[in-house]
Amino acid sequence: MELFLMTLTTGIMVGGIYALVALGWVLIYKCSGVLNLAMGELTLIGAYVSLSFYQMGVPFLPSLFLSLIIGFILGILTERIFLDRLIGEPVLTVIMVTVGLSFFFKGTIQLIWGTDTRVFAPAVFPLKPIIIGPLIIGQVYLWSFIAAIILLCIFVCFFKYTRWGLAMQATADDEMAALSLGVSARFVYAAAWAIAFMAAGVGGTLLGNINGLNISVGYLGLLVLPAVVLGGLNSVPGAILGGIIIGVLQNLSGTYLDAYFPGGVKEVAPFVFMVIFLLFKPHGIWGWERIERV
Amino acid sequence: MSTTWLPCGTYHQSYKEDQSLWQTKFIKGKMILLFAVLFIGVPLLADPYWMSVVNTIGYTLLGALGVQLLIGFCGQVTLGHAAFIAVGAYTSTLLILEFPWPQAMMDFGIAYPLSIVIAAITAGIASVIFGLPSARVKGFYLILTTMAAQFIIVDFIITQYVSQIGGRGQAFSIPPEAIKVGPFAIDSDTKVYFMMLFLVILSVTIVVNLLRSRVGRAWVAIRDNDISAGVMGINVVKYKLLAFFVAGFIGGLAGAFWISNLAAISPEHFPWFWSLWLVGVILIGGVGSIHGTIFGSVFMVVVMELLQSAVVPLANFYPRLMMDFLFIKEAAFGLAICGFMIFEPNGIAYRWWQIKNYFNLWPFSY
Repeated sequence: MELFLMTLTTGIMVGGIYALVALGWVLIYKCSGVLNLAMGELTLIGAYVSLSFYQMGVPFLPSLFLSLIIGFILGILTERIFLDRLIGEPVLTVIMVTVGLSFFFKGTIQLIWGTDTRVFAPAVFPLKPIIIGPLIIGQVYLWSFIAAIILLCIFVCFFKYTRWGLAMQATADDEMAALSLGVSARFVYAAAWAIAFMAAGVGGTLLGNINGLNISVGYLGLLVLPAVVLGGLNSVPGAILGGIIIGVLQNLSGTYLDAYFPGGVKEVAPFVFMVIFLLFKPHGIWGWERIERV
Repeated sequence: MSTTWLPCGTYHQSYKEDQSLWQTKFIKGKMILLFAVLFIGVPLLADPYWMSVVNTIGYTLLGALGVQLLIGFCGQVTLGHAAFIAVGAYTSTLLILEFPWPQAMMDFGIAYPLSIVIAAITAGIASVIFGLPSARVKGFYLILTTMAAQFIIVDFIITQYVSQIGGRGQAFSIPPEAIKVGPFAIDSDTKVYFMMLFLVILSVTIVVNLLRSRVGRAWVAIRDNDISAGVMGINVVKYKLLAFFVAGFIGGLAGAFWISNLAAISPEHFPWFWSLWLVGVILIGGVGSIHGTIFGSVFMVVVMELLQSAVVPLANFYPRLMMDFLFIKEAAFGLAICGFMIFEPNGIAYRWWQIKNYFNLWPFSY
């Protein structure tokens, strides 16, 4: 029972980070209709940038902030250089451009930072675990979760109460209506990419704190794809819920199924679950069921 | 996109002529010339290095053909095709290494061809299993289920279980004399080349002819709009799954063929990168065109080789460059895809078609 509770809490906490990255993904999809397969690389970029600042001697929070700024700039550049020209192109074209981007980013990252695992040294979060009753939780997980929740709240407030956020919501809801009300769609697309870059960067930094940072953290970033599919592609609450489900599922299967299927069951469980889930609910939990007309 | 187009003054007098694959004398001559170059010219002229490059082209082409069939002709986007190639390769290897073949079958070289067929069918079935969600989901959801195929088959089943067969340290290396087709042991690049040529011609012929038939028309209808295809009386699920089967079958052929060129196989030969690479090949070549598949694979492999040969001399001055080449290759591939999608979304095949039309219509270009 204790094992179960501990796995569950760890899962929820890691899931919080996935939820953050998934939020960025859903945002891009809702605002501009781009299905982004480069999310793993976006997490890597943010993580490596903040790691570099941290190793230069900048304290953790400022380096995170600097990586946010760089993520913002990169996001706008990416949108302007690559995605802006593709408005109105077929879906496959846009998807493949994001695949191309993911290769480009990955190659560049490995070129700049190499393939060795790097750790945040000295450790950002204290190594001593926190003990609450029967639960033992690593502080990294706890603080990552708290940071993810705070950022999620900031993002949600941003969408609800600020002018920009409302413009983005309007575009996501009905692009034509938003355009006629004077919202600049190009601005919204750029902002969506910038925010996705920033969210992914924070997620990547937190994930990199847990187990060190190498190219396989990008694979963790890829786990947002099952998360958003579970939640339904165009639902923000769905993305958050999906992220947490994926985190929990991953940890539960790592704990309980590993005895039966030794090896990397933790890595594939989300994908297996996703395939089976899609067979029964083809639009995820809260995804829109579009009525198709010929 | 590319239509059959006849020069003026050509009239068909029988149904057979009308339906023939090579319709004019000029095309017949062209194809005979092409076959002459492929069967005689290339083996005579190419040195071992270029021979291996040509073999890589053939392997890429076989893999990309299945992807082209799914994406270009049936509209089912797949990002996990390397998994089915891996299934083919591993099935064939396991059959050769572990199955107690009668000695006579080994001696007469029946074992390997038979294992290729079984491997291709197995890969086809695996592909159908992962194509099953296509009955319910489409678009991005389907992309993710095919992506899941890659992670489940290659990263989990093959890496964790299949690779353990035969105990630790069994590196799935195939003894050279085991790979034997009829009386020929496939032990040199030239022999691999002829086998590749046979398989490529076979599968291209199969696909081209399938596309001209009822099945191909059903696929294209599903690609263009699956609801209206269903309304017209096409069994959408059946034909989608058939497309998955044929694509997986060709993928399995590719994998089972490629083990003749590899000394040993490991999961690293079939990474996700390779799945995406195949999709990139058909996008750069041209979606929905067999020509495009061929152009794409030739273009990608040759460009990457040229890039490599440009990097090698520089490596004397910057030793790190050799190590980093893999990353440069990745980044260049990514940029190439982005560039093609933005500036030439129809691929090389479309450009080829335009050039051909230009000369066909010259001097009156209207």
